[in-house]
Amino acid sequence: MSDTKDATLTPEVRRLHKGMAEVWANPRGLGALTVVNHTSVGLRFMVTGAIFFLIGGLLAMLIRTQLAFPDNDFMSHETYNQVFTMHGTVMMFLFAIPILEGLAIYMIPKMIGARDLVCPRLSAFGYFCYLFGGIILVSSLLFEMAPASGWFMYTPLSSGDYAPGRGSDFWLLGITFVEISALSAGVELVVSILRTRTEGMPLHKMPLFAWYILAMALMIVVGFPPLILGSILLELERATGMPFFDVAGGGDPVLWAHLFWLFGHPEVYIIFLPGAGIVSTLIPVFARRPIVGYGWVVAAIVIMGFVSFGLWVHHMFTLGIPQLALAFFSAASMLVAIPTGIQIFVWLSTLWLGRPVMSLPMLWIIGFLVIFVLGGLTGVMLALVPFNWQVHDTHFVVAHMHYVLVGGMLFPLIAGLYYWLPLVSGRMPSARLGKWSFWLIFLGFNLTFLIMHWTGLLGMRRRVFTYDTAMGWDIYNLISSVGGFMMSAGVALLILDVALHFRFGKKASQNPWNADGLEWAMSKPPTPYNFVSLPRLDTRHPLWDDPELPRTITEGRHGLSTIDHGRRETWGSDALTGKLREVVHLPTNSWWPFFAALALAMVCVCLLIRIYPLAAVATLVAVVLLLRWSWENGAHPRAAPDSTVSPGQPPLHSRTMNGPGVWTMSVTHLANGSLFLSLLFGWFYLWTVAPEWQMPETSPLSPSMLVGAGVSLTLGSAWLARLVRRLRRDNDAGLGGGMYLAAGLGALQTVLLAAVIWQAELAPTETAHDATLLVALLYVLIHALLGGLLCLLQGLRVGYGFVGVHAPLEPVVVLRFWYYHLVVYWVLFVAIWAMPTILGGGT
Amino acid sequence: MKQLLRLTHPIHLVSGVTIWGIWFVAIYAGLSVACSVAPPDPERDMLTGINIGVGLATLFTTLLLSGLTWASVAAGRRAEPRRERFFAYASAGIFLFSAGGTLFVGYPIIFLPPCL
Repeated sequence: MSDTKDATLTPEVRRLHKGMAEVWANPRGLGALTVVNHTSVGLRFMVTGAIFFLIGGLLAMLIRTQLAFPDNDFMSHETYNQVFTMHGTVMMFLFAIPILEGLAIYMIPKMIGARDLVCPRLSAFGYFCYLFGGIILVSSLLFEMAPASGWFMYTPLSSGDYAPGRGSDFWLLGITFVEISALSAGVELVVSILRTRTEGMPLHKMPLFAWYILAMALMIVVGFPPLILGSILLELERATGMPFFDVAGGGDPVLWAHLFWLFGHPEVYIIFLPGAGIVSTLIPVFARRPIVGYGWVVAAIVIMGFVSFGLWVHHMFTLGIPQLALAFFSAASMLVAIPTGIQIFVWLSTLWLGRPVMSLPMLWIIGFLVIFVLGGLTGVMLALVPFNWQVHDTHFVVAHMHYVLVGGMLFPLIAGLYYWLPLVSGRMPSARLGKWSFWLIFLGFNLTFLIMHWTGLLGMRRRVFTYDTAMGWDIYNLISSVGGFMMSAGVALLILDVALHFRFGKKASQNPWNADGLEWAMSKPPTPYNFVSLPRLDTRHPLWDDPELPRTITEGRHGLSTIDHGRRETWGSDALTGKLREVVHLPTNSWWPFFAALALAMVCVCLLIRIYPLAAVATLVAVVLLLRWSWENGAHPRAAPDSTVSPGQPPLHSRTMNGPGVWTMSVTHLANGSLFLSLLFGWFYLWTVAPEWQMPETSPLSPSMLVGAGVSLTLGSAWLARLVRRLRRDNDAGLGGGMYLAAGLGALQTVLLAAVIWQAELAPTETAHDATLLVALLYVLIHALLGGLLCLLQGLRVGYGFVGVHAPLEPVVVLRFWYYHLVVYWVLFVAIWAMPTILGGGT
Repeated sequence: MKQLLRLTHPIHLVSGVTIWGIWFVAIYAGLSVACSVAPPDPERDMLTGINIGVGLATLFTTLLLSGLTWASVAAGRRAEPRRERFFAYASAGIFLFSAGGTLFVGYPIIFLPPCL
């Protein structure tokens, strides 16, 4: 029931709800494209992800149809290659990650007592990038131009010589575009969890699901950039001939494998952690007791998040790596069983010590425990090098991967779907249809993939499009195919159940599962503002400790329950203690995210069809749109021109010097730094390992101009730091002019770097050395240009009165950007000029 | 800044695994570069400069992480607010895991030559 129609509320409270509804309203029709609210954007992510899941599932059924019988000619091998590549790609990039991000975007503010995420426009932008990137990628199937080199696109199979069509380009450009979405969601989830929890919610008392999402988001921020870099390099190689992965030109195809799996292995845990978060949320509810060992789970999450980055080489055991290095990665792969085991024992202990009740979500949780434990055990088997060599690239690996991913992600996701469905719709799902769906999927899954272990052990390679009957694999493949179709029937029933429940489901009570989480304190379906008043919480189980919370929240008896200022607001709190620090004012509906994503989609399409001048124009348009978007911030009339807050409240975040924007910039630089380190890794890897690496005796780069650019950067950073220090002392005299001076230093650095590139006369299509140098120099040149532009905009904003002593946040954010650039520039200087000069070049 | 050094600060939830990560990258990168630049004679067994170097790094890191485990437990015992005790004990568990993980990943140097 809508809160504005609740007859038990006083007229004053109803006016408050009405005011909130007006300020937080979502437009309809074409205006729906401007919606930035996390509830709507999260749902969009999930629905779009579900559609891609159906597409990926359809491709899986095509695979199983082809493999059902020996010597089958249902598909040609060319089509089969496209189908299995797109199945893996769609499931990993367009379904698993986005739907989990959608769930996190939808749930996190509701669980931590916030009204929205900290950068709502970024959420909307991320969604459109995902949607457009997904459409571009999937459209390749319709054009019969889909990528066909497998979902990890190994070079040289995916390089120009062996994949001359547009298939690999669709993959590289489409996935990079989709990853912008993942990164934007990752950044804002981190900052939202750390800085917008409700008053009094300390870090060690926030819901476990928030810990899992915090780890997942940080892993996305650090884990995705290596693949983004790899994709950029491979696309450059395919489009222009820069030989990063070509041995003859001084490159190395193994570099691609490293960059891919530096992303690819953490990716598995990025997918698993939210699933485990759902399990850790649901089990205590249905065991009717708090989780056993909250601290153990937090420690396990942190360990898993880190160790997962140390396992990437176990995907490359057959590449010819020294045995000692293999042993390091084998041991590290076994280590990850410890945090996994901790969590499984915590879940079992909670069930053992609780008073469990069986329900539909719990059925899926039990399915998860069975399947995931089996997948984990085969994972430990695969960590053993000799066994790994034996079954490498066979159906055994395919079976293991599906046990881990379907068990670890899909089953908990469906459990979460059934658990939170009443929150979304206000209605209960059908237990009967749900159970049928579970058993069909559970049995169908095991029939498909348990059998596939044996097919693999019998020697059937993955990705073969058919087989001879003499191999003895016929019956196993037929059983796997029957199981696959059984699973599809289960998915169809699941969809039917969800669709029917909106019309026929029983009305849900306020807290249908007797859960402890804050999300059950809100109206169903949720209002765009989540909570009309934000409660002070100092407990891990708000609804168990205070069952009256839904009523008192709705009656506006808690914090931030004024709306006459017309701003969208939520609390900004201390990352550690949860003490209030600011009132975060949030942007309202906006067209900028949609148009900026559309311009980037144009860039993507132009690069795909190789109309580069148009791609350059579209890039320029995208940059202008993004900068125009950034204009509507802080004290801008469309953001928060009026800084008045209620007595006793902290100031607006844009009127402080450590608002969430500073955190957002810092977390963004974690991603940026990961990209930079990947580039540095590529440079040193090719230098030390590539068999045909050619480095000139003396560096082609002008040291005087490189140092000159570095000095202008250093001076600019110092100058900006001085301006910020003066702002801290409430002195903004000369701020505008100072910003223009910093912009000038940025421009000088840009010009000098452009001159370095011009003067070096690099031959990037001839040698990987020159190609890598060019990419590295372009990286710092783009930062120099952007640093200058940001300062120029700041100067203008000072003139308009949007920045100054009254609104000092933005210069602090810009300074962070300059500091980052300062560090990476000098590191790069050492790596690409000083070290080759000192150590000497030559081949 | 001084507060960050106290073992009751949540930053230490990640400092143990960060040390483990730095050690892991260092031994893998060091091994790869050493085998590429100056590989030992293939006839030699495990008593090579590379194995000894990796072994010393492993021992040092294990000892450092073990010391931090002990110090975290001690900090947890002394900590007054419940929040600080929580982070000290959770960090101690992660330090302990990292120490064990370092030893477990590094011990193959005893029976494997470096570059084969």
